[in-house]
Amino acid sequence: MKNTLRQVFHSSKFVVGFCIFAAILLTMIIYPLYNPGSPLEMIGVGTFAKPGTYVSLYDATKAPVETLRLSDADDKRIAASLSQDDRIAMVEWFTIMEIDVSDLDISDTDALLALWREHYDPSVKPKGMTMAKRNYYKRLNNALLELQGADTLIIADTDEETGALVEKSKITKTDYVNVSTVANVKVLPLGTDNFGRDVLKELVSATGTSILIGIIAGTVATLIGLTLGLLAGYVGGFVDDFIMFITNIFTVIPGFVLLILISYSLGQEQRGATVVAVVIGFTSWTWTARSVRSQVISLRNRDHVNLSKLSGHSLVRIVLTDILPYIASYVVMAFILQVSSGILAEAQLSLLGLGPKTTEVPTLGLMMNWAMLYSAHTNGSWWAYFPVILTIALISFSLNLMNTGLDQVFNPTLRD
Amino acid sequence: MKKTLALLIALVMVVGLFAACGSSPAPAETKATEAPAATEAPATEAPATEAPAETTVELPRNETLYFAGQQWGTVNSWNVIGTNQNNSMAIAGNSGGYRTLMFETLYMFNFMDGSLRPLLADGDYAWNEDMTELTLAIKPAAHWSDGTPVTGADVVRTFDIGVQIGNNTGSGFGAYISGIEADGLNVTIKAALDENGNPVNPLKILDFLTGTPIAQAAWIDTVVARCGNDSVAILNDPGEDVVWSGPYTKYFSDDQKVVLIRDDNYWGQDASMWGKLPVPKYIAHVIYADNPAGETALKAGEVDVCQQFIGNIQNLWLNDGLPISTYYEEAPYGVCLTMPTAWYNMNVPVLAENVALRKAIAMAVDYDTIIANAMTNQSPSFADVPRSVMNPTAGEQALYDHDAVADLQWAGNDIEGAKKLLDDAGIVDSDGDGWREYNGEKISLNAVCPNGWTDWQASMEVVAAAGEKIGVEITTLYPEWSVYQTVFTNPSQTEYQIYMWSPDAASPSNPWQRVNQLMGKVFVGVENNWSGNWGQYVNDEADALIAKIPMTTDAEELKALYTELTKIYLTEVPSFSLMYRPSVFHAVNESVWTNFPSGDDGRNIPPADCTDGYGIAALYELELVG
Repeated sequence: MKNTLRQVFHSSKFVVGFCIFAAILLTMIIYPLYNPGSPLEMIGVGTFAKPGTYVSLYDATKAPVETLRLSDADDKRIAASLSQDDRIAMVEWFTIMEIDVSDLDISDTDALLALWREHYDPSVKPKGMTMAKRNYYKRLNNALLELQGADTLIIADTDEETGALVEKSKITKTDYVNVSTVANVKVLPLGTDNFGRDVLKELVSATGTSILIGIIAGTVATLIGLTLGLLAGYVGGFVDDFIMFITNIFTVIPGFVLLILISYSLGQEQRGATVVAVVIGFTSWTWTARSVRSQVISLRNRDHVNLSKLSGHSLVRIVLTDILPYIASYVVMAFILQVSSGILAEAQLSLLGLGPKTTEVPTLGLMMNWAMLYSAHTNGSWWAYFPVILTIALISFSLNLMNTGLDQVFNPTLRD
Repeated sequence: MKKTLALLIALVMVVGLFAACGSSPAPAETKATEAPAATEAPATEAPATEAPAETTVELPRNETLYFAGQQWGTVNSWNVIGTNQNNSMAIAGNSGGYRTLMFETLYMFNFMDGSLRPLLADGDYAWNEDMTELTLAIKPAAHWSDGTPVTGADVVRTFDIGVQIGNNTGSGFGAYISGIEADGLNVTIKAALDENGNPVNPLKILDFLTGTPIAQAAWIDTVVARCGNDSVAILNDPGEDVVWSGPYTKYFSDDQKVVLIRDDNYWGQDASMWGKLPVPKYIAHVIYADNPAGETALKAGEVDVCQQFIGNIQNLWLNDGLPISTYYEEAPYGVCLTMPTAWYNMNVPVLAENVALRKAIAMAVDYDTIIANAMTNQSPSFADVPRSVMNPTAGEQALYDHDAVADLQWAGNDIEGAKKLLDDAGIVDSDGDGWREYNGEKISLNAVCPNGWTDWQASMEVVAAAGEKIGVEITTLYPEWSVYQTVFTNPSQTEYQIYMWSPDAASPSNPWQRVNQLMGKVFVGVENNWSGNWGQYVNDEADALIAKIPMTTDAEELKALYTELTKIYLTEVPSFSLMYRPSVFHAVNESVWTNFPSGDDGRNIPPADCTDGYGIAALYELELVG
């Protein structure tokens, strides 16, 4: 056993796969300690908040102020509300209004703004200009008005008795606060999803559920496949024919179609994560059964098996002690592949809206399902689905890598 | 060694493949599926559905107004008096107004101000003193596509055949109109009377004026004759030979798209109506597979008017800089006319017996999240427009006393308040499993809406989340539409406990109609109930008040009635609105056409996709860009 393990861990492929998988598992265990709470909690009120650090504006106004005089602060401020395109659009407006702009320097913000103040009128509707364009100019004008705003912002509170605004504090352009002094800062490394849930937290929890689904599905599939394969292979005769008949039927029916039909007929009410896992297991055992059977056939006439038979050992004992150990390595590899395909099957099912019900636990497939329903892929919210795809890819990649590594160790034809 | 070689060969092949691709001429760009190959079809009587499969029509882009979000399958009928049709561009009665592209109503409804504008009718209608008779005249200029004038006899025949065969006109108005009489162009609509000699509901007669497309009497006779006066056959007749009065008619239709062409003989160019023809020569609707396909086409400028919900629509112009706009530039972007509502199933004892439970769930729901998530803020919040039985339009909001019900309204996400309500009502968690029990049994409810209705599904998720916070187990359930529609319309079902459906949006009979749908006893126990009160709530007091409204003309009295009904609704919580929502979405891309209606243009044309009710006025004022 020790020797086998040493051998296995000498395979670089297995080690890489194992490390990736272990890293994923570790993240699953450790991350919730840092970021506790329900992964389904809807913290954001809007949809798809961008990844980044969110600072409470309310608390920031109360944090101790440092004065920093940064020479490029004003430039940045202007650039944030007046892009190069905006400047060109302003010149277009002047042209439509038939104003001479031949000696206007487009990068001269003051001159541009002065001319704009003079000539822009939101009520004018130039012929042929679309509503979208007019609205754009209105927005631009508002942004410019803000740019020209006073140097000091006043924070005011309503007086409870008189209802009048009472000045509480002022904020100037050179006021800065240290983020660490702000009471509420939320880091959302992967932003929020369509429900305003923390994607990273959800992803970590979903990975756990999906791996669990994979393991249950893999266990079910492997158990069924192994039992049938062992029986068919060892007993042979009618039992073999009958089991192979069933297996062949299941092989020719596309497994995924069967999966869809079963999931659909179960109805959403019944579809918890475990049920979905079991259903996946029940539809993907066939190739394990076939392979185990062929391996067993090659084993059943070995001397030690015959010896066992002669000694009068029971069928169960022969299978468990004289056959199973010889194919154990193969079964482990098959199991790993089943886990991997189980995770993928859940993702596919959920993407079609046939996955586990959504209120209970997040799964990788459900996250993709909701991201797709909310067109995350067309509105550029990559953080809602890309990390999920990456995680699925990493999990199956690591599992397959481990499988290949094991194969190299156990399969005599591949052994170096 | 062998393996390395194989790998090398594979690599060489892949590289070779890329090189080949690179050196060959750039792959042909995927052409828009729009319109290749030309066949100039005749202007009037078009090939329509019997056009051979390979025929495609080329539509000049600058003469065609493209739509999306209305037609989802091949058009199967042009029979305006039938019921078996899916023809959304030509025959569709939306709650915000009838679509008058091909068939016309007597009046056009404008949901912006609740006004009725004459279309086939000439000037205003008039009630007699006790509101038992309504008289109006048909415009002398109005004529059918075959040149014969539209007369009162057409209105009479349209109503009579409706009652005879039970189409939407018959089933919708048969109970409120006892008969229609005509003398030349003059029409008299007689209200059905109740046992006291009062009209059953004058409001529904106004709905008839704006909601019933008038069909030609002679054509109806033709259909009746060819169907042997068999109601079912008449309802299912495809109506290929239909005679129309509107500005557009069928031109082309297959499983890819449906095209209407302008009828240049349209009577409306007479000075007594529009004085001109609508601007686009063609109205085209490509049949898209789903919402994302239509949305993509809108972004690409292949669609001019889009009746689809588009999440975070402001990003299309703020971030992507596309020439797309909505009626209002700021949230809620459109005009919300209805309130998608979660109905409590009164067949379920725990819900029927516990007002506290009904109110607690409704109080705990985080509506801001629903509105921000499900509607991406294309709805006013319940803080802006406090909940009542009214939609957010100014006209309806003025119909009840806001101060009188202020204490009863809730803005949501009040977890503590909800918990207290349940605790006080004795609905507590006595066995310590985290869920509350009623009569010793754990309360377990489901929240249901059809699968794929994304914004509703998101709302149900939020309702379920609220349940968890107050210790009431609510799980979501999304059956397919085909299943959902049979269950929620069944008056005795207990399968769904909290489920979604929208009451009426806007029409001359609203908000009365909506209040009736929310609490009206008339719908209780009705089999296959598509009409109202889907929760089977019974309240005799409310019912009596509802019955008074149609005959009430005094503004103060009306306001008192509506206020009282709002009080009952908010106290009893037979259902709760989840958000406000437009009856049709209206987003336009100005790549080709411009001068679409907008909230600040002073024209008072409603955002009704340039087709519904008075919204069609927009078609006469469109301009080409540039």
